[in-house]
Amino acid sequence: MTGPNPTEPTPTQRRTVIVTGGSRGIGLSIATGLAAEGFRVVAVARRPSEAFEAAARAAPDGAMHFSACDLGQTEALQPLVRGIRAAHGPIYGLVNNAAIGTPGLLATMPDREIQDLVHINTVAPMLLTKYVVRGMMAAGAGRIVNVSSIIAFTGYNALSVYAATKAASIGFTRSLAREVGRLGVTVNAVAPGFVETALTEGMDAAERGRVANRAALRRLADPEDVANAVAYLMSEKARNVTGTVLTVDAGSTA
Amino acid sequence: MSVRSTLVSEIEAITRDHDKAMPPLTDDLVLLDTPFDSLCFALLVARMEDLVGVDPFSTLEVADLPVTLGDLVALYERAAVAAAA
Repeated sequence: MTGPNPTEPTPTQRRTVIVTGGSRGIGLSIATGLAAEGFRVVAVARRPSEAFEAAARAAPDGAMHFSACDLGQTEALQPLVRGIRAAHGPIYGLVNNAAIGTPGLLATMPDREIQDLVHINTVAPMLLTKYVVRGMMAAGAGRIVNVSSIIAFTGYNALSVYAATKAASIGFTRSLAREVGRLGVTVNAVAPGFVETALTEGMDAAERGRVANRAALRRLADPEDVANAVAYLMSEKARNVTGTVLTVDAGSTA
Repeated sequence: MSVRSTLVSEIEAITRDHDKAMPPLTDDLVLLDTPFDSLCFALLVARMEDLVGVDPFSTLEVADLPVTLGDLVALYERAAVAAAA
């Protein structure tokens, strides 16, 4: 049996970061990556996944936690934030990653689906950020990272509503960065290109091949590439970076 | 510490931290006429939620917005009573 790693932070030294949608896909990669970088990650999703539980078991002691919440139930968000603060201490970082990617031609999309997209991808992260950022403002430090998409600025057939929500996330990022900057809180966005996750499973192999061929690097980005970008923005190295968008798309939009 | 004294001491702390010179904190003081700006106000709401455990602004109707310091104290006192009930 080996002794504790002297450079490994103890559970109480870890700064708490919330990752929404942290049980699978890009969110799980972000959660795992931040835990490896020394943060205490609280993944929020409706339910934990086997993949999350396996990652939490493999992570250092006290590095990965789960809090169940349906983020679309917006009246639950303030109690969620209070509960996480009570259990894990002050919240240093928030990664607004949870989103739905319902495709559909606007002309034939059910109204309910359009409203759900805006509610879950735009309204819920704004309200969650409202309740989390207060503690950051009071502490005089904090990091917010919003996961947007290259579709916010490129356009893709049958994703107009999704694209609108992702563009909203960038506008929200820039103006909130202005609001809270002088209190030491940074707000940035990451814009992944097409990444191999459950959200893109709807694309067939030929379509994926076409997307990859359009990229400068002739490949798709991985969830880990997005996680690395978030880890950078969450780190001390990014202390002077705020109100910006970091694109991670293997050069698709280059 | 009463809700009133907590609120007043937080306003004093925030204005001190942000180098703002405030007039005497009387109940009829109109907050908009002071250097206590929107960011100071947001900070006050955040700290009061920590200290008193209530946030009257999350459910507030626009018409109820406090104008004077006395209105603000009353708003927090009502919210604290409602939360304790």
